[in-house]
Amino acid sequence: MDAEQTRAVLATMWRIRAFEERVGQLKRADEVHGLIHLSIGQEGVAAAVCGQLRTDDAVYSGHRAHGHALAKGAPMTRALAELMGRRDGLCRGMGGSMHLVDVEHGFLGATGVVGGNIPLALGTALALHAAGRDAVAVVFFGDGAVQAGLFAESVNLAALWRLPVLLVCENNGFAEFSPRSAHTPVERVRDVVAPYGLVGGTVDGNDVDAVWAAVAGLLPAVRAGEGPALLECLTHRLRGHYEGDPDRYREAVSSAEWRERDPIARLQRAATGDGRLDPDELPGFERTARDQVERAVLAARESPFPDAALAASLAYRR
Amino acid sequence: MTDPATDTAFDGRGLGTERLVELYRQMVRIREFEERVKRTFAEHPGVIRGHTHLADGAEASIVGSVAALRPGDQLTATYRCHGYPIALGSDTAAMMAEIYGRATGTCGGYGGSMHLCDPERGFLGTSGIVGQGIPHATGAAWAAQIRGDRDVVLGFFGDGASKQGAFHESLNIAALWKLPVVYVLENNSFSAGVRTEQEDANAAAGEPLATKARAYSMPGVTVDGGDPLAVYDALSAAVARARAGEGPTLVESRVYRLSAHGNSIAPPGVPLHYPEHEAISRFGAVEEYEAAKRGDPVPRFRAALVAGGVLSDALARSILADAAEEMQHAVDTALAAPFPEPAAALEHVYAEAPA
Amino acid sequence: MSTHETTYIGAVMEAIDLEMARDERVLLLGQSVGGRPDDPFVQRYGENRVRVTPISETAEIGMAVGAALAGMRPVVDATMAEFLLVAMDQVVNEGNRFHHMSGGRVRVPMVLKAGYGFTAGWAGQHTGSIYGMFMGVPGLKVALPSTPADAKGLMASAIRDDNPVLFLHHYLLTLDRGEVPDGEHLVPFGQAVIRRPGADVTLVATGWTVPMALAAAATLAADGIEAEVIDPRTIAPLDTATVLASVRRTGRLVLVDQATRHASVSAVLAAEVAEAGFDALRAPIVQVTGLDAGIAYSRPMEEHVLPDEAKVVAAVRRVVEYSGTRV
Repeated sequence: MDAEQTRAVLATMWRIRAFEERVGQLKRADEVHGLIHLSIGQEGVAAAVCGQLRTDDAVYSGHRAHGHALAKGAPMTRALAELMGRRDGLCRGMGGSMHLVDVEHGFLGATGVVGGNIPLALGTALALHAAGRDAVAVVFFGDGAVQAGLFAESVNLAALWRLPVLLVCENNGFAEFSPRSAHTPVERVRDVVAPYGLVGGTVDGNDVDAVWAAVAGLLPAVRAGEGPALLECLTHRLRGHYEGDPDRYREAVSSAEWRERDPIARLQRAATGDGRLDPDELPGFERTARDQVERAVLAARESPFPDAALAASLAYRR
Repeated sequence: MTDPATDTAFDGRGLGTERLVELYRQMVRIREFEERVKRTFAEHPGVIRGHTHLADGAEASIVGSVAALRPGDQLTATYRCHGYPIALGSDTAAMMAEIYGRATGTCGGYGGSMHLCDPERGFLGTSGIVGQGIPHATGAAWAAQIRGDRDVVLGFFGDGASKQGAFHESLNIAALWKLPVVYVLENNSFSAGVRTEQEDANAAAGEPLATKARAYSMPGVTVDGGDPLAVYDALSAAVARARAGEGPTLVESRVYRLSAHGNSIAPPGVPLHYPEHEAISRFGAVEEYEAAKRGDPVPRFRAALVAGGVLSDALARSILADAAEEMQHAVDTALAAPFPEPAAALEHVYAEAPA
Repeated sequence: MSTHETTYIGAVMEAIDLEMARDERVLLLGQSVGGRPDDPFVQRYGENRVRVTPISETAEIGMAVGAALAGMRPVVDATMAEFLLVAMDQVVNEGNRFHHMSGGRVRVPMVLKAGYGFTAGWAGQHTGSIYGMFMGVPGLKVALPSTPADAKGLMASAIRDDNPVLFLHHYLLTLDRGEVPDGEHLVPFGQAVIRRPGADVTLVATGWTVPMALAAAATLAADGIEAEVIDPRTIAPLDTATVLASVRRTGRLVLVDQATRHASVSAVLAAEVAEAGFDALRAPIVQVTGLDAGIAYSRPMEEHVLPDEAKVVAAVRRVVEYSGTRV
């Protein structure tokens, strides 16, 4: 990552961090309702992957989708309005946190059932391939999805048909509420896809430079039609599975340990250390992001709730 | 007198003449049964309804696998299920009656060709949906693990099923829980009318399907499914591992299905028959199919046994004659057997509590 | 009979606990089951019988079928009804088929436990009341408890049943408290219960809509309209006889169903009563159901598509005031 790229990625990460911290507060104040999954601590993957995509590349995410949507370019105000159930939300208040969609920015959607997005991304990749375009489909999923049947069905077909799809697994070591060791004897997701000949690798997802480099290494071949790839990012989910999760299944991370791992702090240390960024410019990223979030909150609050009858009128395309 | 079966020709397995001949006898019985199913379409039009799937070509794989079991072990299979109960000792007359839809059938005429079972002999049943029996075998293995009797479960399925999510989910859990199950992937190179390399990334890359076992940190082996002793060896090792509590194995048994995927599918009124094999009808691969016929595991094993001095021509002829007579009896009694009462259709919808 | 107070979900788990203690063939598996040495079920029954699973619904439910074929009585905690859809074949085309297609030679005693109706901002993929799509599946039984006591009694009966049972507990009732019989408590399947007697109109409701129908009945009683509230408790088997007998007394039927209206429990009951009780009806049957749409995230839209007490009250008034034209 050069200095400009680093600035862009850092700005995105701060936007996600500030957005999600605010969403956590809004959830507690009941301004955001329903089931909320936060990705605090995992922003680096979203920022480094989406930072190298084009608008016409397609991105799919799952139930933990805020970061991916924002990183792909979804306007923060409309994302927040969606979480607050407002008319100006990305989905007019129909979808909420788990079902964000922003077709305009190539964020084709988040699905709420684990792994359900993977075949969707394959289908988009097939369509892009059939149309002769060099756009790619990218799908984010957690390591829990790897044990679902449709994962293997998808990996086989993606490899067989050499689809332009990048599978990005955010391996946070937990599937829902239990550690990966309770779900599979295979520690690394790359080992699950290796028998199918998928290229890719495993990186420290909290090392944003490493994620960026890995994506830069994989993406050109995927785009050139040489077949799918898997990027496994080892991350750490700082929050519980969902907001309000009693969180008894995870060992707390000490603040010192977290400072070591926090992808934002790490990137800032690295980038100032090697001279890409000036230490003086760092506070600006956070301040800008938090200001933007506050403006988004105010704007979203201004947006009215949707007309209730919209719910039934959208059941079918008329 | 030395037992030829312990000679080098048979790798000193110690199976003994009697068991080797018995393996051959079971192969012949399966082949004869399947031939009579097939002939029924021509000789007794309309007697078999719906869909049948034959095991001809897989006899060595079936017999070699079942030979590795002991009483108390169990198995599940697919809609291509006639061979297993024959090898387990089920009554072939009742099986044929089931395929003919008669009240005296194995399942009283409720199941038909695709849903044979014989729980008393450990054959728990089949799923007619590709891949969906794999978790059933896995669950039965979980039950065996809990019982603690060191029983083992075999789960039979085809190459197409290895692309089903049920395969992936089941093998992962079985490896994780070290379940006493052996997955027997009978790779007959075709999923109905699609060649395996058209739908499988490993096959397309020229790799064995057993490669998939690596995704679960599970041993995967590929064996010549046309050789009952090679299958027996592979299964014996896998069963021993499972019995010892060391977990599952994926065994890919390479077979060549000698009949078409199933009988023709046609609306009522159109006579059913067994069409030409897909290798020829869809791919024009006449020589491939002829080569498979030349490699037919039944005469191949007979020749090996005869060459090894285990089987005489006279005994081979008598085994064939006995099997022909047994299956003639199966056909005759099934044809003469009564149909179920129509209203019996509403029985067994729900299991009633035992009295 | 002595009782104690507990929550709806507590009653469900109490039944599983008692049945696991009573019968060592009863197993428990699922994505949110056990998984920790300090889990009370693991401590009581061991990790062999209480197993956390990966996110592998087809294997979880298919393994339950296989374990049942091999003599066990597994309970799968599928967490949410929609997750059953990932494994639809195993739910509606495997376990429920085996007894019949084996001519009675094998049995598949298993329970699929799942929450439903998460209409609390869970949006499109977790909120459905999808029980209707399972009630017409031969070989499968479906229980929809509405009270803690029934939750306990139906779960115990489900575990002892020799067939696959879909046990659906309503998310919005999770923490409702009620008196539950101590010790062994069995509620038979296929027996509706009259929650409140009344002579003017029959109200049939399931799950979360039972308290709604009872509240509506209380409101109507203030106006002199006596509604009889019937809770079928299981929808497969479905006790149409109790509903018909009630309609013969009241002459009027209002059906409350949280599910979408098309192909719903209420539609089935309406057809049965229209066919067998036409002569007893003094007014058209009216259904108060969810609207035929997915559940939207935003609160005003979520509320719009669901039945509520006011809709039930209005429907009853229309039926009671029916004068020979349209309701």
